[in-house]
Amino acid sequence: MTVPLARRNLFAEKGRFAISVAGVAFAVLLILIVLALYRGFNRTGQTFRDLPGELWVVQRGTSDPFHSISLVERERLDPVASMPGVQAVVPVLARSMNFDAGGTEVSARLMALDVPADVVSDELRERYLPPEGAVIIDDTLRRKTGLTTGDTAQFGTESLKIERVRPRSPEVLFQFVFVNFADARRIFGVGDVVMYGMVILEPGADAQTVAGAITDRDPALQVYTKEAFAASIAKEMDETFLPVISILVAIGFIVGAAVVGLTIYTATIERTREFGVMKAVGGSGGYLYRIVLSQAAILTGAGFVVGAVGAWGVARLAIEAVPEFATEFQLTDLAGVFVAAILMAVLASFMPVRRINSIDPAIVFRA
Amino acid sequence: MNDCEQRHILRATALTKVFGEGESQVRAVDGVDLQVCPGEMLLIMGPSGSGKTTLLTMLGGLLRPTSGTIEVDGVDITALKESRLTPVRRKSVGFIFQSFNLWESLSVQENVELALNMAGVGGRAASGRARTLLEQQGLGRRLQFSSRNLSGGEKQRVSIARALANEPRLLLADEPTANLDSKHGREVMHLLRDLSRSGDRAVIAVSHDQRIREVADRVLWLEDGRIKDIGQLVRDPVCGASVEMDNAIKLEHEGRTYYFCSRGCSWEFQQSPERFKAGAATSSVTA
Repeated sequence: MTVPLARRNLFAEKGRFAISVAGVAFAVLLILIVLALYRGFNRTGQTFRDLPGELWVVQRGTSDPFHSISLVERERLDPVASMPGVQAVVPVLARSMNFDAGGTEVSARLMALDVPADVVSDELRERYLPPEGAVIIDDTLRRKTGLTTGDTAQFGTESLKIERVRPRSPEVLFQFVFVNFADARRIFGVGDVVMYGMVILEPGADAQTVAGAITDRDPALQVYTKEAFAASIAKEMDETFLPVISILVAIGFIVGAAVVGLTIYTATIERTREFGVMKAVGGSGGYLYRIVLSQAAILTGAGFVVGAVGAWGVARLAIEAVPEFATEFQLTDLAGVFVAAILMAVLASFMPVRRINSIDPAIVFRA
Repeated sequence: MNDCEQRHILRATALTKVFGEGESQVRAVDGVDLQVCPGEMLLIMGPSGSGKTTLLTMLGGLLRPTSGTIEVDGVDITALKESRLTPVRRKSVGFIFQSFNLWESLSVQENVELALNMAGVGGRAASGRARTLLEQQGLGRRLQFSSRNLSGGEKQRVSIARALANEPRLLLADEPTANLDSKHGREVMHLLRDLSRSGDRAVIAVSHDQRIREVADRVLWLEDGRIKDIGQLVRDPVCGASVEMDNAIKLEHEGRTYYFCSRGCSWEFQQSPERFKAGAATSSVTA
């Protein structure tokens, strides 16, 4: 009977119930969106995972591909190509730069791969290797700039045509523009220096062994596995965003707990006499607490469901308005927020329970 | 030691409740001794502020006395901690209130079921017993009604069914007819009397309602927190009303004294004494 009673206590004031559910839903939505954004941002660097190279050779001291510059003379990469376990080494030019997209300055990350002819495949060409004078952009950049296939954009002194638009990538900070290697050399003006060497391994070769062999041979180089190279970007993101996210999640939690607590407390005060009657006719403390907890659980549960659906809807709408709004909802986050919601309900019940404790059952005899 | 002395349901000894301290101190109940036996309906009357409700609140274990003892169903409740007192209230005492105090968000049946749930009776057993109790109160067709939509009389009958849910031996009624019209008040009054007569149970009612005197086995007059003698009650053989012997209109007839509430009843009796002689009887005495 505690649950039906709790439900009816809440539904007795439908307007207040709706507002309270909206308050909890807002808190849950805030927490879920922030977490989903964090997960989405954390997928920055996915391009490095998708490219065929298992190892990335960089100038020693390079911390990550976005915030640290690596300059490697091309001749240093040549011996790597003939090392055991290595199928090919792809010199890579890459840097962030602004370009002119029809009168609008847009920032993107240009990348060019000089893939040896014996390694080139149709898939690689389709995704990463435009012909000279052309570039391949992704759908996010298309929506941001309005550029589409056949349009031209100004990269430094080079005017390049949009060859293809790739499906949307999870890159949030910078969208990748794949450029022909010859064009990139002209745009960057770097001569025989490249940024990285992308190492494609022979089938069955051990990445760690090859990496060790490369650095043993040339201590001026440093080697990352592609996972470590991509993760180095996430590490930067974690250090920058995690404290901010933690504060936002905490604010969401406090707002949710306050809304539930206030609603249940008000409902308890309004029904002081009814709780007094329950105490008078023999309702134990535990029984009454269960009613309060059930009220909090119903409110929090409804708010959680509305908030979760709302978060999903907001993410869908937001990506239409802001192409870089990359979110990723994970089941573990949803479960975590659900647990937080339960905790919210328990904490929110604290004050109402204290209130119930203080109700004098003799109130029942007062007119 | 008489039978009641051995089988009493409630016994209060030197019960005293003092509110406040120093000059503002009030002795709401002052040295009350009381004993209630199975099958008895006790009415406590008195002016406003005389301590009736305070006495009832203490008897129900809702207020601790300043001194004295209360024994309910063989348990001295004055020394019990709140956690031990709650089960006594749940199992041994049923409360009937002036303002009904129903849980208005619940249906009629749920009001009774909730009281059973609190005592650990759930599911079909609770709903079956709730239905039976409510049907006995003539509310079989109102089971699923919202309790807030009932008439005053119906609400009080739900309140009585709820009070009976856990089969308590002691029913405490606070002004049970105060919010009812005369018809429903009379119904409730007779219902309380029947409850005291059926089963191993007693009813204590606090009321200003003179009509309850008719059905009470015993009437106590509480004034300034103390019980006082209010004299013997007798029945008017014409209209059936209970009247105090000392204040009644007296008439000697064939060697017997008859008592009337008014000159009209006395005159009517004199016109046809044979019609009314059987209705004359003493109804109750004081503590």
